[in-house]
Amino acid sequence: MSVSVIGGPKRESDLKIPGTEVRKIEKDLYEVFIGPQHPGSGHMRIIIRVDGDVIVEADPDMGYVHRTMEKLGEIRQYIKNIPLFERMAIQDACNVTVPYVLALEKILDIEPPQRAKYLRSLLCEINRIAAHLYGFGIFGVFIGHSTMYMWAFADREVMVELAEKLTGARLTHSYPIPGGARRDMPQDFPQAARKAARYMRRRLEEYRKIFLDNPVMKARMEGVGYIPKKLAAELGVVGPVARASGIKYDARYNDPYDAYDEVDFEIPVFEEGDALARAWVKVEEIKQSLRIIEQAVDWLESHTSEAPIHDKFWAKSPPLWKKVFEKEGRVKLLPMMATMKIPPGKAFARGETARGEIVYYVESTGDSIPYRVRIVSPSARNAIVFKYVVPGHRVMDLPTIYGSIDYFPPEADR
Amino acid sequence: MPARPVAKALPKRRGLFEGFKGNIAAISLGVKYLIDPKRFTLIYPNEYIKLDPGYRGFIVLEKKKCINCSSCARICPAAAMKMIKLPEPDPRHPGKTKIKLWPVINYQRCIFCGYCVDVCPTEALYHVPYHDIVYENLAEMDWDLETFTKPPDYPTASEGMPVKYIVDEERGLVKVKAQEGEQ
Repeated sequence: MSVSVIGGPKRESDLKIPGTEVRKIEKDLYEVFIGPQHPGSGHMRIIIRVDGDVIVEADPDMGYVHRTMEKLGEIRQYIKNIPLFERMAIQDACNVTVPYVLALEKILDIEPPQRAKYLRSLLCEINRIAAHLYGFGIFGVFIGHSTMYMWAFADREVMVELAEKLTGARLTHSYPIPGGARRDMPQDFPQAARKAARYMRRRLEEYRKIFLDNPVMKARMEGVGYIPKKLAAELGVVGPVARASGIKYDARYNDPYDAYDEVDFEIPVFEEGDALARAWVKVEEIKQSLRIIEQAVDWLESHTSEAPIHDKFWAKSPPLWKKVFEKEGRVKLLPMMATMKIPPGKAFARGETARGEIVYYVESTGDSIPYRVRIVSPSARNAIVFKYVVPGHRVMDLPTIYGSIDYFPPEADR
Repeated sequence: MPARPVAKALPKRRGLFEGFKGNIAAISLGVKYLIDPKRFTLIYPNEYIKLDPGYRGFIVLEKKKCINCSSCARICPAAAMKMIKLPEPDPRHPGKTKIKLWPVINYQRCIFCGYCVDVCPTEALYHVPYHDIVYENLAEMDWDLETFTKPPDYPTASEGMPVKYIVDEERGLVKVKAQEGEQ
């Protein structure tokens, strides 16, 4: 076989580089396998067919990190599912578990105290910023801007540090539990949170200078991966991808949960729908998350400290429980929580993670384990972008689109 | 006050020299951080992080407080905590033994969620504020009751200098020397 592409593979054997298999399927049409060995944020494969440098067909091949999350959820007690579901998106641990807890609370028919709601929202926003910065870092290194990668990951450390102060763990916080949250805010937290918010605002301005307004990067992002509003609605994309295409949809706005109907914040919506707009949505969202953090911290500081858990799990608890809470701010769990039976019922809850809307459906038959837990994660809904938006672009635009939709395989495959 | 969607627009193009200005801004910012880098690398093991007391590190049992109730083993999401049966002299029937249940932990499985510490009705379990312990083989990570009842050795602390990371308004995270005696 002779190949006449200039600078392209000369011999048949050149086409068989491990990991990047290239196959000629018809005249001037090659099949390129991108992945599955970690093309970026996790194991997934995109099979593209290229005519020269132009992609004519793209086929996302998901499922390499499928861990039977839903089935495992059916053999564990309710509270044990929380650390399990966290493993979908560990940078976003609180955001992905809060809707599950909300669904359980709906079946139990309990309302967590106001303090627990604020604490959960506080950690959710810290997680959202951390996840957006993680996405930014990956996006930066995808399009060859390793400074952005280093900066975003270093600044994410600030948020991880805050989360550690609040929960005692850097990433897998296991923070929300049915009826409330597991720890109260430590004394020195508000000051650190305010400092971090001011620091982050200043940094976003620097991100703009070095990355978003950088002409080199702008040229690679502007007009790439354009998703018109109509197409975005048809594909059913969620989160920053939808909001960059002008769709006003955010679970925090459409179906407020926890403290989101009490704090004042904006849902940034852009009309442009390209990779640059998706990057800007994240920047604007980080700004709004910082506002929510400041408001939540103010609220928590101005209200007296009480156990952030529903009376059902606190009123009859022994004196030691109260003593530990006063001393360490730690909410002890009742031993019955391990095998807690939840009355028969079905519940449906949704929440907004950093990558979009996550939906949980929990069905209980009155046993200590759920009958069914259905999870629809945002990355699974955004993966369709590869199929319908990538064709027509050049191969070098694929990382830009991948990075800009912030696709996260462990969350999509669950 | 609930959220409200706000339409935003990308920054507009600012004249002919936008590209030139953008490049200059990016390069000058890069040069600024080249001269004064915002570095907070931990020189491990010469330095180690002194974690806050609330940190969820390794879990240790206070045997005196334990009432052998099995709550910790029942709530463990990773099945790391197990109860073992140990015979001990029965105070009520001298000369006879009775079987008691004691928790042991397998650190191959533990995910440090801290549920066991929070569920313990007598606070017999507690977290030690360190996490970086190395084992030579996997079998060592499966602790027996004797190992579980005393805090694990922390060789890093004897070799390194304790540091702390604090959030700073100007530089993000700043590495400072941890004060002696400070928790």
